[in-house]
Amino acid sequence: MSVPILVIEGVRKYFGTRRILDISKLSLAAGGSYVLTGENGSGKTTLLRVLAGLEDAEVEICCFNGEMVDLHSYPGWLRHNVIYVHQHPYLFRGSIYDNIAFGLRARGMSASQYAPIVQEAVSWAGVTELLDVPTHRLSGGEKQRVALARARVLNPRLFLLDEPTASLDAEARQQTIRLIRELCVANSTVVLACHDREIIDLPHMHRLHMANGRV
Amino acid sequence: MDWLETTREALVLLVSGDADLWQIIFISLRVSLLAMLIAAPIAISLGYVLATSSFPGRRILIVITQGLLASPTVVVGLILYLLLSRQGIFGSLKLLFTQEAMIIGQVLIALPVLVSFTISAVQGADPRARETAISLGASRLRTAMTTLLEVRFGVMAAVFNAFGRIVSEIGCSLMVGGNIAGVTRNIPTAIALETSKGEFAQGIALGFVLLIVALSVNFALAFVQGEGGMK
Repeated sequence: MSVPILVIEGVRKYFGTRRILDISKLSLAAGGSYVLTGENGSGKTTLLRVLAGLEDAEVEICCFNGEMVDLHSYPGWLRHNVIYVHQHPYLFRGSIYDNIAFGLRARGMSASQYAPIVQEAVSWAGVTELLDVPTHRLSGGEKQRVALARARVLNPRLFLLDEPTASLDAEARQQTIRLIRELCVANSTVVLACHDREIIDLPHMHRLHMANGRV
Repeated sequence: MDWLETTREALVLLVSGDADLWQIIFISLRVSLLAMLIAAPIAISLGYVLATSSFPGRRILIVITQGLLASPTVVVGLILYLLLSRQGIFGSLKLLFTQEAMIIGQVLIALPVLVSFTISAVQGADPRARETAISLGASRLRTAMTTLLEVRFGVMAAVFNAFGRIVSEIGCSLMVGGNIAGVTRNIPTAIALETSKGEFAQGIALGFVLLIVALSVNFALAFVQGEGGMK
């Protein structure tokens, strides 16, 4: 296995006296694919959100790509390397195109620079036919695919995907799994919280079981 | 008093383009629109920060802002009068009985309305909107703009409500404007003056205009809220 992209040690989070996270050490290899399994409430989503800098936790050591980082202040360069996708992704009002271009615009790219990237992502996600449909009219599966495309165009080192196939019908689930499979064989590291047996059984997928906040 | 005859006279005054009458309308709209232009960016930014940040005293600031919603406009006018009068700390600016003083007063009246409504709109937003913007690498400013854009109907409701409040307020305008004809006489102060003189036609004509402005604002508000609710 290659060098770790992320090493965290001493991650703890409590709600009152209830333990949400208590991880002594977790190391993720660069380019690896990981699935977090476990009962509801075992801490999967919280761990992903802590890694994404969306939730606070006590973290003794966090090392990303060989560099020590403070997850509380979450530096900009780390933000550009880690993308979190919600279980039910939020799409901004407007078009699919604008949503996929959002992160590229935030990185200062001009319309002519990001246009080919967005077009390729639209095609990758299989939403070309839906470009004129307002985002609030898309189905859950379509929203999930747009959100994956929106994350993929940013080429992050680490994808954090929270239950990407939950509540999807059979066809939408298969389409989403196809995209996840492609993300997993690319260079990025992928961490999924998931109960979906087909994803858990994907080739080269490392299983991390969580129970009571522990991995 | 013949109400029908007075109302007819009022309509004639309006449609004939009576210069005095239209000057009052112009002053009223100018003062209130300028006050909104100044207050809205400040208050919406402040509302967003109060809704999304965590710092000591935040809760107290929100409670104070909400409390100021109920402040009588005449009290705002009185405090401003004391500050701007010759003995006041801003007396040297010679702003008392000017449109600028009225604008400052209306800004102060509009601020709590705008801040409180913006806080409600942002706190009522789907938290995933802000989180998604952050996760996609948006700067703080872009995250704020994106979140406010997502709740734009709530923010517009704040703007319309604040405008409705300041365009029809009389207490502050009377105190710091002085109701000077052609300078600081706006619709509410003119209505009070004309009615007290028994000039009901002009009072009713101005009342019509104020009613039309208020109704237009409410219709606009209902329209944007309807648009926001459309799925």
